[in-house]
Amino acid sequence: MSKEHIKVLLAKKKIDVHGRGTKLLARELRDAGMEVVYFRFGVVDEIADAAVQEDVDVVGVSVMTSGQIQIARGLIPALKARGLDNVLVIMGGIIPEVDYEPLYELGIHRCFAPGLPGGAVAEYIRENVGTATLG
Amino acid sequence: MSQDVSTDSFEARKHEWEQRRARYADKLRPGKTLSGLPVKTVYTKEDVTDSDLDEMPGVYPFTRGLYPDGYALTPWMQQMVFGYGTIEETRQKMEKMVEEGMEGYFGHKVFNTVYDIPCMYGIDADDPEAVGNLGQCGVHMSTGDDYDELIRGWDLESTNFSMITGDNCLPALALLAAAVERRGEPFSKMHGNSMNWYPRIAVQDVPSWEPKWGYALIIDLVKWAMENAPDWNPVNIFMYGISEAGATPVQELAYGLAWGKSIIDAGLAAGLAPDDFIGRLSFQIGCTVNVFEEVAKFRAHRRMWAKICKDAGATKPSNMLARVHVHTSGYVLTQQQLLNNTGRITLQTLAAVLGGVASIHTCSYDEAVGVPTEESHRTALRTQQILMWESGLREVADPLGGSYFVEQLTDDMEAAAWEIYDEIEAAGGYQRGIETGEIKRAIDNSSYELKKMVNSGELPVVGVNRYVTDEQENYEPFRIDESIEEKAKARLQDYRARRDETAVRAALENVRVACEALKEGTGSLMPALVDAARAGATNGEMMVPMRDAFGWFVSE
Repeated sequence: MSKEHIKVLLAKKKIDVHGRGTKLLARELRDAGMEVVYFRFGVVDEIADAAVQEDVDVVGVSVMTSGQIQIARGLIPALKARGLDNVLVIMGGIIPEVDYEPLYELGIHRCFAPGLPGGAVAEYIRENVGTATLG
Repeated sequence: MSQDVSTDSFEARKHEWEQRRARYADKLRPGKTLSGLPVKTVYTKEDVTDSDLDEMPGVYPFTRGLYPDGYALTPWMQQMVFGYGTIEETRQKMEKMVEEGMEGYFGHKVFNTVYDIPCMYGIDADDPEAVGNLGQCGVHMSTGDDYDELIRGWDLESTNFSMITGDNCLPALALLAAAVERRGEPFSKMHGNSMNWYPRIAVQDVPSWEPKWGYALIIDLVKWAMENAPDWNPVNIFMYGISEAGATPVQELAYGLAWGKSIIDAGLAAGLAPDDFIGRLSFQIGCTVNVFEEVAKFRAHRRMWAKICKDAGATKPSNMLARVHVHTSGYVLTQQQLLNNTGRITLQTLAAVLGGVASIHTCSYDEAVGVPTEESHRTALRTQQILMWESGLREVADPLGGSYFVEQLTDDMEAAAWEIYDEIEAAGGYQRGIETGEIKRAIDNSSYELKKMVNSGELPVVGVNRYVTDEQENYEPFRIDESIEEKAKARLQDYRARRDETAVRAALENVRVACEALKEGTGSLMPALVDAARAGATNGEMMVPMRDAFGWFVSE
């Protein structure tokens, strides 16, 4: 499924540190022709509000200092409560592989390991944007 | 006897060398360091200067090391970062680390304790925003009880408490001071380090105080330490934050030294005498796997800092020493093929030791996945200890001194770093660089250029763009149980129930007044924070009036 204009919200969880990965991904997604809103640090409700305001197709959350499960637990219902049933939700950063399945069960569509070329993320977004649902 | 050995002069040998390589020399790809400086395939005596060869370790400008005999008198300090859960879990870890042989100079104990993000940011365990972060990537310490337990039984004269704080730097020191006092000991016995690294705001994308108040707070802590705890190290210059954000090693040098200079400037502007505070400033620096570039970086760093201190008016050589703690770069670790990181960490540690640094934290190989396990954390410590005791590395000071290549690279890095440093200074210094965001932009650009080189394969990273496999490793990292959140909340409630609420409110009101006095330049804040800590105020409570007074600034 391809879409001409793709808008991505990139957020870091509130009170995290080290924004390098997120900022790199923001640039790499822009290189791939996407519009990126870099939200920096927010609690779950702030991220969901920003996703509505910015009318994004994709929400990406970066995690450096843990808390991914708690974020997913809160973020997916927060997005659904705002009517964002078709937004693609991805996560990346210092997240153990063994957490990927539990995160997918909570509604996250895909997790990415650190250090990958941003192109891999862009490719995934292009293939899946518009088809994802938050169930 | 296969060939004639015509002559033994350098010129003749060089000529022969040129002939031997003529067939392929123009096909060699020009080398460069991570910072983009050119690297030749061979260095000779033509590449070193007399001034390089005239230096001695322990003598100004200290290129060859801070001490005359390097590590021979005492090895580097093993300062592993640790801290998780509540102080109860972290206290057990402290004792374990001592058992494992982690020690500082002359057998002193060193505890390089990292706070959790809620503490750094300044919220207590019962704050809804703390959910998911309590005790996760650091210890949650916010009450007097927590600090009593931190210092319990340790001899203050021979124990270093290095406190990896964030915005809570001043409240944390106040809480420690109050605990020392409760034990019946004077502040002057306190040994350790406040991070006081507000200027990281320029690189780390973390919101913090308004810049001018950020600097006022740094100096407030410096003054308190000078008057009350003269052996305390009040400022750490967090170059690690600069390189981890994506700066090249040369940028790390330039911006880090400009950061240090901005602290010197702020101290001098506040009326401090150079010899009274400059010697207490210290550094934390990153270290990648690029061994020679890192060694040259540490050598250039010592030389440059010595010059900066001297120019700023320091007169005693001991006040010109760049005391450096290395934190091996976490960014170079890969989640792919996790165990490969042990090789990287060994190289990083090797570079730090050859570079003659004073103190080392070795990352654990699984930090690309999460918080290290007991085993990986111990292996990281053992990596240092193997280098310390098995390798022979510590027997000779500055073993690469006089190396044609390393001396040239040291000079090249110094020159390239001065160029950036001078530009920042001419434009108004590091503090202005925070305000304009130009330091961050320059570093972000470097980070992006580096990533493009990794993506294209120009910069090889094993397991990421070379020798890639798609196997799932399913590594299980150390887990801090979520029940720690309830435990932290219970400890907080229990503490609050036992204190005099009226006295706490009054003390916090005094903190509010003192914040305003600091802003007006009519008073200091630290004494009011120490009073508040005595009265039972918590880390998070002290941060409320501070946030109100000093604002909240995001560097663009």
